[in-house]
Amino acid sequence: MSIFEYNGSALVSMVGKNCFAIASDRRLGVQLQTIATDFQRISKIHDRVFLGLSGLATDAQTLYQRLVFRHKLYQVREERDMKPVTFANLVSALLYEKRFGPYFCQPVIAGLGDEDKPFICTMDSIGAKELAKDFVVAGTASESLYGACESMFKEDMEPEELFETVSQALLSSVDRDCLSGWGGHVYVVTPTEVKERILKGRMD
Amino acid sequence: MASSGFQADVKALQKHLAARHLIYQHQHNKQMSCPAMAQLLSNTLYYKRFFPYYSFNVLGGLDNEGKGCVFTYDAVGSYEKVGYSSQGSGSTLIMPFLDNQLKSPSPLLLPARDAVTPLAEAEAIDLVKTVFASASERDIYTGDKLEIVVINADGIRREYMDLRKD
Repeated sequence: MSIFEYNGSALVSMVGKNCFAIASDRRLGVQLQTIATDFQRISKIHDRVFLGLSGLATDAQTLYQRLVFRHKLYQVREERDMKPVTFANLVSALLYEKRFGPYFCQPVIAGLGDEDKPFICTMDSIGAKELAKDFVVAGTASESLYGACESMFKEDMEPEELFETVSQALLSSVDRDCLSGWGGHVYVVTPTEVKERILKGRMD
Repeated sequence: MASSGFQADVKALQKHLAARHLIYQHQHNKQMSCPAMAQLLSNTLYYKRFFPYYSFNVLGGLDNEGKGCVFTYDAVGSYEKVGYSSQGSGSTLIMPFLDNQLKSPSPLLLPARDAVTPLAEAEAIDLVKTVFASASERDIYTGDKLEIVVINADGIRREYMDLRKD
């Protein structure tokens, strides 16, 4: 079994009209055994930037701690929050530092940039960025997520419709992957508010 | 029968089944029904259990009562009657979307529920075109052109659609 499939994960982020959604599954496993059914894969860096980390959970936690440290330092020096593009560059740089002994994570970064323009990107475990205008996926269920998102995505969805689309795509994809599932965690972020919702799906 | 995998084995398998079908027609003076062919395909695949046909199949057709049926296979002949299925490199992209749209009941439910999906012919063809367009976007091995074989009481017809050519 690949090291990326040790814990199991599913992450998806989609762009809507002046908003974005980022969603993950809730399972934490050790190969085929399920350890936790309430694992948080998505963290808030600040009100307008969210980070999801798929892959090996221990590396995800370490990477998250390092990134929070770097962001706090940035806030002290610059007296403001990091823009999503800048944060993505920071994640990419941190991952490439470990080019020959990498963190086994695939991050998904989502945020609202200048003029409230939604920004999403993903990268591989050594920091190769992939910007997208529509959606990005990561985790063991990534192939299923690609298919589901490609069929369900529409341009310029309002927050409520975006939530429905992301939820349906996430739940149908994790149902086809034995290493991810046990519900879903969806954040829908607009310039004015952040709505966090828990999804109930197949608990297997 | 739709097959993906190693094309030489696919060709050999199709040739073998065509020959067996011809023999059946000579012996029984009628066409094989879909469930009968389903069993034959399974047996043919398992016959080569220790040097398999590298072929991933989906069989579709009409049974003796004229109702539609779909059977899905692995490379060594394990098969199941289902309402819908996909195989090949694009199948991981297509299956979740079909699950979402068609919501087939689990085969483990009691009493056993019919796996036939409640779709009209036009809706089914439309769904097939949608999933292939989506799969062609994200799977490098899927694309160029789509051939849909439609089997109903009036006979068999083929429809074609262009897909992404990259």
